Amino acid sequence: MADRVVLTIGTKKGVFVADAAKPRRMFSLRGPFGPGIPVYSTLIDTRGTPRLYASSCSPFFGMKVLRSTDMGKSFKETKSAPAFPKDDGRAVANIWSLEPGDGKKELWCGVEPASLFRSHDGGDSWEMVPGISNHEHARKWQPGNGGLCMHTIIRDGNRVHLGISTGGHYLSEDGGETFQASNQGVGAGFAPDPYPEFGQCVHKIARHDEAPGRLYMQNHGGWAEWTGPGGPRPDIGVLRSDDYGHSWRSIAKGLPSDFGFPIVVHPDDADTVYVMPLEPATRACPGGAPAVWRSENGGDSWSRLARGLPKKESYFTILRDAMDIDRLKTPALYFGTTTGQLWIGREGGEKWECLFDSLPPIHNVKVAVV
Amino acid sequence: MGSAPTITIYLPAPLRTYCAGATQLSIEARTVRGALEELERTQSALYRNICDETGTVRRHLNVFVNADNMRDLEGVDTTLTAGDEVTIVPAVSGG
Repeated sequence: MADRVVLTIGTKKGVFVADAAKPRRMFSLRGPFGPGIPVYSTLIDTRGTPRLYASSCSPFFGMKVLRSTDMGKSFKETKSAPAFPKDDGRAVANIWSLEPGDGKKELWCGVEPASLFRSHDGGDSWEMVPGISNHEHARKWQPGNGGLCMHTIIRDGNRVHLGISTGGHYLSEDGGETFQASNQGVGAGFAPDPYPEFGQCVHKIARHDEAPGRLYMQNHGGWAEWTGPGGPRPDIGVLRSDDYGHSWRSIAKGLPSDFGFPIVVHPDDADTVYVMPLEPATRACPGGAPAVWRSENGGDSWSRLARGLPKKESYFTILRDAMDIDRLKTPALYFGTTTGQLWIGREGGEKWECLFDSLPPIHNVKVAVV
Repeated sequence: MGSAPTITIYLPAPLRTYCAGATQLSIEARTVRGALEELERTQSALYRNICDETGTVRRHLNVFVNADNMRDLEGVDTTLTAGDEVTIVPAVSGG
């Protein structure tokens, strides 16, 4: 019986694990695990015996995948990490996403430079998925500020959605054998063509498990003032698809900024979606006053959720994987900041409280009820 | 051609876990490249920490042959002679 709320917190200096009983009153913290180096992705794998995974990306010694089989009391390296074939010419520079696959042990992993890997044995061995890693577009993608990263992997039967910065959204409908760029309606601000076939700087994609045709995207917005070729591109930053990602439309009207990184869907309501608008220049919340914004009608209108958050003088950034929502009856949101604070938004984000205020800069927050 | 000279590779603490705790390894190699190839053959987990999948020494690692950084010599083609000491050191970083 699931009775603990577990958080994995990937930071600049390793991974932390926090847990609490279901009322979520007090969280205890363990860590940091790993050799004090950046963790950009974590996974709480609830298939069978729960396992925790964390990427461990050393600028000195390369990529590792850490695995815990005791709910985060200890982590050990898996037998290998994703690596390109020797004759490929590319080297993995970062691990950006870890997601469960089929069965109990299959894992999918997105890396920098943007490529996809799959493991059939819980991370002990990996194979490159050529349909996207060797896609005809792959050598044309350009790195964004965070690198050329494959940060989003969403699976729905034979459909696989990938988010790549900067590559855009790619969709497979044959289980990952082949992929097509699927960016109709997804704008780009940094190219003369406002709606290219591919090359958009997608920041994150989210979907409700029981409404797989509905997807939300936080794209690289902040181009309303652009005066160069192609003209201004207002509201290209927050988008919605109702046809399994084949086309997208803006839902950014009503937000204070269409720039941001994370986007999260309510576990029980596909119409309820959360974003964290940021000023595009500073990557901080407008006016130094952090707020999560929620739509309860699929993005037609938005409301500001800031009770308990600082009212001024706060200039942290919330990165693309640093916000998540649990699956309890009245879910809580969680976000981590680049200044090392971990916040909980109780009652669906109505009331915010800082759980930990002096962690290393936070890259990644995942939550599960285990 | 006779057998290759025996040299010693000194390892930093974070890498010792990948070679059963050894602080140094004695191997036979004529060049740094040959030494790395020998590690790839006999110490594959250790090798993956030193070189990426293209075979390039990781960017933030320095390889010294005796007192000289190999990049100031002939890189991985630097010739080794019997008794040479090859030291692998993480680059200084942070602040």
